[in-house]
Amino acid sequence: MKKNALLSIASVALVTVVFFACKKSPSTTVTNPETGFDKKAMLTQYADGLIIPAYAEMQGKIAALKTASDAFVASPSEGTQATVKAAFTEAYLQYERIVAFQFGPAETALLDIYLNYSGGLDYSFSTAGQLTGFSVDTATIENNIASGSYDLTAMSRNTLYSQGFPALNYLYCSSGAVSRFSANAANRAKYINDVVQRMKTLVDGVAAKWTTYRTDFAANTQTSSGSPIAAIVNQMAYQLDMMKGPRIGWPFGKQSNGIVFAEKCEGYYAGISRALAIENITALKKLYTDNGSGKGISDYLVSLKKETLNADVLAQFDATLAKLQQVPDPLHTAFAAQPATVDAAYKEIQKLLTLLKTDVASATAVQITFTDNDGD
Amino acid sequence: MTETKSTALSSSRWSIKKIYPGDLISIAPLVTFRIFFGLLLFGSILRFWLRGWIDSVYVKPPFHFTYMGFEWVQPMGNTGMHLLFVLLAVSSLFIMLGLFYRASAIFFFLAFTYVELLDVTTYLNHYYFISLVCFIMIWLPANRSYSLDVLMRPHSKRSLVPSWTVNILRFQMGIVYFFAGLAKLNTDWMVNAIPMRIWLPAKTHLPIVGPLMYESWVAYLFSWFGAFYDLFIVFFLLNGKTRPVAYLFVIIFHVATAIFFPAIGVFPYVMIVSSLIFFSPRAHERMLSFLPFYKSQNGSLNSSVFTFAKPKVLGVCIAIFVVIQLLLPIRFLAYPGHLFWHEEGYRFSWRVMLMEKSGNTFFKIKDKATGKVSEINNAEFLTPLQEKMMSTQPDLILKYAHMLAAHYKQHDMEDPGVYAEIYVALNGERSRLFIDSTIDLAAQPLSWGHYNWVLPYKDKR
Repeated sequence: MKKNALLSIASVALVTVVFFACKKSPSTTVTNPETGFDKKAMLTQYADGLIIPAYAEMQGKIAALKTASDAFVASPSEGTQATVKAAFTEAYLQYERIVAFQFGPAETALLDIYLNYSGGLDYSFSTAGQLTGFSVDTATIENNIASGSYDLTAMSRNTLYSQGFPALNYLYCSSGAVSRFSANAANRAKYINDVVQRMKTLVDGVAAKWTTYRTDFAANTQTSSGSPIAAIVNQMAYQLDMMKGPRIGWPFGKQSNGIVFAEKCEGYYAGISRALAIENITALKKLYTDNGSGKGISDYLVSLKKETLNADVLAQFDATLAKLQQVPDPLHTAFAAQPATVDAAYKEIQKLLTLLKTDVASATAVQITFTDNDGD
Repeated sequence: MTETKSTALSSSRWSIKKIYPGDLISIAPLVTFRIFFGLLLFGSILRFWLRGWIDSVYVKPPFHFTYMGFEWVQPMGNTGMHLLFVLLAVSSLFIMLGLFYRASAIFFFLAFTYVELLDVTTYLNHYYFISLVCFIMIWLPANRSYSLDVLMRPHSKRSLVPSWTVNILRFQMGIVYFFAGLAKLNTDWMVNAIPMRIWLPAKTHLPIVGPLMYESWVAYLFSWFGAFYDLFIVFFLLNGKTRPVAYLFVIIFHVATAIFFPAIGVFPYVMIVSSLIFFSPRAHERMLSFLPFYKSQNGSLNSSVFTFAKPKVLGVCIAIFVVIQLLLPIRFLAYPGHLFWHEEGYRFSWRVMLMEKSGNTFFKIKDKATGKVSEINNAEFLTPLQEKMMSTQPDLILKYAHMLAAHYKQHDMEDPGVYAEIYVALNGERSRLFIDSTIDLAAQPLSWGHYNWVLPYKDKR
């Protein structure tokens, strides 16, 4: 019996050693170029080749927007408005190229919530008169300008719907954007400046954090909930859910038996909804392939012998983009005038969503869920 | 139920065993089991609370997937649920200490089972196991030695118990392992090493073994070892000669599963702790001797025996329990079609980490009076976890459809029809249409029978 006791102690000791050996030493690189796939190299490429440059670009576009915005508010005219509209469109399109990076610093800073609030996927959309989807709270914006006192950091739907790209869209591009400067011009200028400055601060903050976060990002090759690989796969599914929901499907009336909510489109006043949607999907495809670097989720799937799936996903990205391009501009007019073209694009979006949410997620063993939980 | 106290049977257990052949053993295994299992329950309850799951799983969701026949089981709100978990934690500690043991065991069993019945989407095999063990523990005299109950009422102390009290726990463990092993004997698991071949390449971050995770032979090793382990571990644990090595394997196997699949939560620890029940009464006495204030029962001249008053009733009850446990896991045989696809008879059958399945659903509500159709935003009604679980399980799809129909009836739609386009990917195959998308789910009844509106599974591998 003593032997048994010794054996038990030895076994517990062995297991403890193995357990802690496995818990610690995360820096060990695990690559096997012959048979395996180098996930750390993939994530490094994602950080250095895609994400960090895209944030730098975003900083540049916001800086350019600020210059144009300053000129616009200093002397509002159709000329300065045209310039700021162009800079605004450029910045908004660039935002679609970073919108899927909602993990790490962007997630902590609530970047998407403050810059481009979409109302949340779990919120009932189809209520007329309510702030849902990509609405703009023009009433609150005008109240803020009139009173001159507001707190843009407050966590209320009204606050979130009166800042970021949607607010600027109204302030630069709506009819009467110039003429409204006839009264209370100083307050209006200040509000626009504050909104732009807040966007700049948030983007600069997230971009700065990535210089340190990139090491953690690249080193974490797990696929558990919250890990970079899981975040990338989840974001692709989430962005397509957004496309099916607040970006196209819901304002198109998919949830409301065809009742269109044109003004709840992303970029409604500027009339750039279709361009934004195309840019969003194009950026997602780049996220999927890691910008064609040979070190993306697509290449990981190929290494897992899922060549057909990968080819189908790439083809579905292209099919979706092609159908979106056939929708006449502006999107919110096409909802009523050319519903068949929108519906065709919508069907492709659904197919792409299914591929990413089920096939790709299953193949990469990533859980599509935004909360952690046990399972067996 | 009453007990008799017999005295001075012998100076050693082994001769008592001769008088009551195979019938009486030391109470020590029950005492250690009570202490360890009580601690485990406490830890699980605490962990659940600290992760914020009481709120996210039982308080926030507006809708719950109830079990058929248990639709009346509803959560008690924020304060109520948290209070219940406080009481669960307290009663688990009472079980461990052997304080008001029977009442605590009854309460824990009822309260825990109530919580588990609230929402099917939180079903886990080890929660079911915990419910079963707690039910068994109600009937066990695990507080009759080295407990606060005995400290308060010394005359209630017993040192010998009928051997079935330990064997029923061993039986329950055996059921879990053996049926988990049987479930693995399918083509995907044994011949194709799936889902291991899907899951292991996601584990290359592990030190030392990480690079091996891309190798298919490792997936086969994991699959075959897992099946072999589940099928035979109980027999090695039952045999005294192989027991120490077998328990070493229990620890290694479950610690490995905890490292490789952290998402399985407390399951490995439940099994490591529960497997202690296979050790001999002497080993348990040795374990207890390390604890403070423990007095060995060995050599005691006053051995007291715990007996049950109505052995015939008891025998019948145990027989019924055993038969149910043996039949539940094989009830799937009564259904046609592929078990993993239809999941008819899948739960309560010890099918653990057995398949990779994911789905995507597009629900539509149709006003049959006007013919108008609207799509449903699942996130409006379900949590991400509920939606994920619902997407691949036919009975939950039907429950959700009924809930949607009821919701729209309340919102001025007289005759709502619910239709769903659902795609499911099973075990690494491509996703495909899961149910007949032309069927009005609102008109389909919930049933124990086969659901014909689930499309038949065709193996395309």
